[in-house]
Parts: sequence; C-alpha cells; structure tokens
Amino acid sequence: MTFAVPEVDEPVIVQGITGRYGGLHAGLMLRYGTNVAAGVTPGRGGQAVEGVPVYGTVKEAADKTGARASILFVPAPALLSAAEEAVGAGMRLLVAITEHVPIRDTLKMIRLCEESGARVIGPNTPGIIMPSRRLKLGIMPSPSFREGGVALFSRSGTLMYEVADALTRGALGQHIALGVGGDPVNCTTLTECLDWAAEVDDVRSVVIVGEIGGDAEERLAEHIIDTRFPKPLVAYIAGRSAPKEKHMGHAGAIIYGDYGTAESKIAALREAGAKVAMTTSEIPAIVRASRSEGEGHSPPRSSKSP
Amino acid sequence: MRLFEYQGKELFSKYGIRVPRSKLAGDESQALSAVEEIGLPAVIKAQVLSGGRGKAGGVVLVRTKDEAKREARRVLGLRVGGEHTRALLVEEASEHTQEMYLSVSLNRGRREFVALASRSGGTEVESLAKGAMVEVPVPLEGLTDDDSYTLSTKVGLYGRTSSEFRSILLKLERLSREEECELAEINPLAVRFDGSLVALDSKVVLDDNALFRHPEFSQLPPEDPLEGEAAKFGFAFVRLDGDVAVVGNGAGLVLSTLDLVSDFGGRAACFLDLGGGAQRDRVEAALRLVRGLPNARVILVNIFGGITRTTDVAEGLKGVLSEAPMALVFARISGAEEEEARALLSGAGVAVFRTPQEAALAAVKAVSR
Repeated sequence: MTFAVPEVDEPVIVQGITGRYGGLHAGLMLRYGTNVAAGVTPGRGGQAVEGVPVYGTVKEAADKTGARASILFVPAPALLSAAEEAVGAGMRLLVAITEHVPIRDTLKMIRLCEESGARVIGPNTPGIIMPSRRLKLGIMPSPSFREGGVALFSRSGTLMYEVADALTRGALGQHIALGVGGDPVNCTTLTECLDWAAEVDDVRSVVIVGEIGGDAEERLAEHIIDTRFPKPLVAYIAGRSAPKEKHMGHAGAIIYGDYGTAESKIAALREAGAKVAMTTSEIPAIVRASRSEGEGHSPPRSSKSP
Repeated sequence: MRLFEYQGKELFSKYGIRVPRSKLAGDESQALSAVEEIGLPAVIKAQVLSGGRGKAGGVVLVRTKDEAKREARRVLGLRVGGEHTRALLVEEASEHTQEMYLSVSLNRGRREFVALASRSGGTEVESLAKGAMVEVPVPLEGLTDDDSYTLSTKVGLYGRTSSEFRSILLKLERLSREEECELAEINPLAVRFDGSLVALDSKVVLDDNALFRHPEFSQLPPEDPLEGEAAKFGFAFVRLDGDVAVVGNGAGLVLSTLDLVSDFGGRAACFLDLGGGAQRDRVEAALRLVRGLPNARVILVNIFGGITRTTDVAEGLKGVLSEAPMALVFARISGAEEEEARALLSGAGVAVFRTPQEAALAAVKAVSR
C-alpha cells in the first residue's frame, strides 16, 4: 500500500492555522513555495492568516480549493476528530504534527486509514518535504534540504534535519524527506515508506534514521529481504549508548530487556544488506559509495527458507 | 504514569477483580493497626514504582506482632532502585497452589493491544521460555467472550479456574481500555485451593497523553528536584552517571550526541532534550538545570538551529555564563546566523565547534585530562 504526495502547486490546507504554531508554519510553507490554499479552525471562518483564507470546516476548505492534502497543528485532544473530519471531507494525505497524542487515538487513526484508504503521516512528526515540488508539509528548516535522489525516512525530527544538512553539504540532495514520528506507534511505518521509495524512479538511494525502542527497524530489515528491495540503503541508529528502561526523549525511544536495542537493529539491517553508519557525518560518504557500487548491488538473499 | 500497587488494586476492585484484603499504612503505627485489622500472618509490601522490589527485601511475610513491628520499620526505611518506600501495603497472606500471569499491553510492532497469559507467573515470568506465554489480539472495541475462551484454552485451563480466568480477563481488558492503560498486568494471578483466582500484585501504567480524559489521576511530583525542574519546562531529562552533561534540541539529536561521547571514551552525566525549537529562555533554563548536576564536570551543548536564530541561543548561553561560574561548556551550534553566534561566544568561556564530533571530542578530552 503506497500513497500520493501532492504535485507541484497542488493546493494543501492547514488545520489549526489560527494557532501560533500553525500560523508560523503556514507562512514558512508558503514562502518555501507550497500552495497553502486554505486554513481551517472551527468557529474562525472568515479570517485570514498570512493572506490565507480560514474556513470553519474542512469540507468548506476542500470545496473552495480542491485540496486533497492537509497538515494538522491541532491540539492533541482534538487530533482524532480533526483527522476524521478531514478524511470525511475527502483528504487523502494527512500530516499530523501534533505531539502527545493518546495511543488509542493513534490506533483509531490507523483504522480510519485502513477503512478509507487515506494516509496519515505521524503523529508527532516533522512532516514531509519534497524540494523538487517545492512542497513542504512540515516544520523542518528548509535551508537544510536540496533537490536530489535520496529518500530520507526518519523516526526523529532534528536528527532528520541534521542528516539532510550533511547530505546537502555533501551534494546529495533529497527527493523526499519524511519523518514517521517519535511515538511508539506511527500511522505510516518505515516499511510503508520503503514501499513508496521502491516505486518512485526519482529515488536512487534510501537513508533510514532509526533509534532505539520498538522493532520498526527489525521489521524494515525483514521487509528489505522479503521484497528484495532494489535500491542502495544506508541506515543510522541513534542510541547505541542509551541505558535500558528509560524513555530517552521520544515516547518511542525505550529499551526493555533485549527488545529495542541498537545492536539488534544494526545487526538486522546489516543482515538485510543495508550499510550502517555509526555517525551522522559519515552518511554522505557511505551513500556515495553504495551508489557507485551501482549495478554491482545484488539483492540480499530471501529470509524465507526454500 | 505508573501507579503504585495499591492504586492499581483499587482499580482492580472497581472493575470487580478479586484482590486480597489490604490496608495502606503511611507509618509504623498505622502499619501495626493495619496488621491488627487484617490479622496474622500478613504480608508487608513496600509501595514503590521501581522494579526489583522483592529482591530488595520490600515484600515480607510476618507471623507475629513483634515481627510486624520490626519489619514495618525496616521496609519503611528501604530504598528500591534509589527510590524511598512511599507507604506500606499490609495485606492478608493468601495461600495458593499456583501463580499465573495475565496482562493487557501494547504490541508496538503489530500496532495493537494484546492480552498475554501464562500458566506460570511470579518472578519467574522473565525467564519463561518462548512459547510459554500465549496471547490474543485485543480489538479496539474490546475482547469478546469468544476471545476469552480462546486465551483460556491456549493457557490450558478448565473448570472453575477457566471461568474465573475468562471473567478476570474481560474485566482487566475493560479496565485497560476505559482507563487508557499502556499496561495492565496481574502478576502473580494466584490460583487458590478451590480453583478460584486472586490478583496478588498489580502493575498499571497509564497513557500519560490520555490523562486529560482522566483528571482523577494526578502525577506525583518527582522525588528528584532536577527532574521536577525539567518537568516544569517540559524537558526530557534522564540522569546518567558520567561526567559530560549533554544538552540538545531534539531527542534523536541528543541520543546521537550521547553515542559520540561514548564512542570517544567518555560517559554522559545526563540526557536533556529541550524540545524541537531552541528558544533562548529554554536554552537558559536547561543550562541552569544541568549546572545543578553534581557529577557533571563539563557541559556539551548540541543545537541544530533550523529555523531558530542561533544568535538567540548564543545570547542565552552567554547570559547564563555571566550569572555564575560553571563547568566548561563545549557547544556545537548550527543554523541561521551561526557565524554571528560564534563571534558572540568567543571570549565568553564557551568553546564553539562546527560539528558535533569536534565538540564531543573536545568535551571528552577535557574531562579525561
């Protein structure tokens, strides 16, 4: 199952645009070149933020603009109902920046996606940026990102910026950079991002920024093997030195026993044929090297026994 | 938020899950009158949130009044994993033939809740062989009678024990769903001689993000004053036992900085994530906080400015440094106006570097001198 990212100049809407954060980032997205066509805040229809008209409902905003994608800056208690409203009004892609979302609300958003075919990125995500489309549905600092052939998928926000910055300085632009979110459960998984990257010709290589906690990277590694993922993949895992049973900032970044350790993730990814960087600064060189292996790149063996 | 055993058992009772008779005691004399009321033999249990309570001597069976008095005093003075005993739970001693395990928890990878059970529970649960634990997925609307049969059959129960198990499972799952728990665990779930079941312990972890829907639960202020300070500013803060205090903006960024310190042979004194942005006041508050860490000899700051003006961050650093002498500060500041930020800090007692590697290496070298 994959997803569609808005094309160049395709209209997008901002839910929660009248908030301080929503308004700030609506302006930054506009200045990046994204077509922020409308904002939505219940009860605030008729206002304007950064010259963008505000509507009281997503339905109105969708009818007026034809937008099919939305970025949400609504408070955590309102996120689930805002997402339901957006999907009901025809939104196909939702980027949920909101953090501190109850886990059961996230699970309900996953079911909403399964039932409607819509896609939620997040919650607790920095969003998506696609420099070639001047598309920014997110809060990332755009100067760190340049157009190119890398697909960058990250569980962490600032670490995604850091890695994008290093790639950009190393003349390795990005076709897309997407944060899956720092929560224990993400509506869109790293594995789903990989499926997306497999189908997009403009993606020449993939960089994964993982971290301790959960088993998303282990599942990703299995998926690389099972699907014989055809493109070079470089991974970095933060938290090799982290203690056990402590939440390291992200709600998702916690090790229980042997579950969620960096060692387990690094071993699984290596087993799947990925190159693993030990520091963020060595990522560009490894990406370059794995690309120049070019046709010599052979898909790893299948995990399924014959 | 993790609940104390007694709070978890109050929830169990509310949902109709049988627990032993018990009474909470805040001091020695309350403990003695609780023993009086519950009767002997009784079990005295330290109320702490840290694991390893049993091994630390925090659970003890008492048979006489003298023993009760002596043990109540001892357990009240106990520390488990650095945490003081907050209260005692005095409980009737429960005779039983078997200890099982039952919980409802989140399976992150499968992105659903699951009910887990095992015929053997208690302290052995962690060393259980794979396959000894059986499970059923928990739908968002809750478990059905059929689901409870499935799990009971997988565990291999029959007769009264099976019917009690199924009833407790459905109650525990409803508790988990309605109170929005990350984890609701009964371990051990004891089987008595007549086949009936009783919850001897509770481990309940509420979803912090859902507490706005459950105002009846209030967070205890942390025992550690620095953790309290961090909570006030919304910082993610973890004390560690090394000497390099690590501060940065963004959980992943700080984690990766800890790794650098460790790779260079250093040891971090803390993890402090001041949040995605890097506003001046937050940088200042974070520095004041880590200044209070007795084990921190140097401070390593890693700020990826992004849309924040790094000159703001630099002004913040300078401001705090001018207040009081403090540990050596090594900083990597990247983002808008970084040259100006570096200029501002030259001569202010902060060594500024272009990359996290350089800053981490310098910080580690400074403490190993």
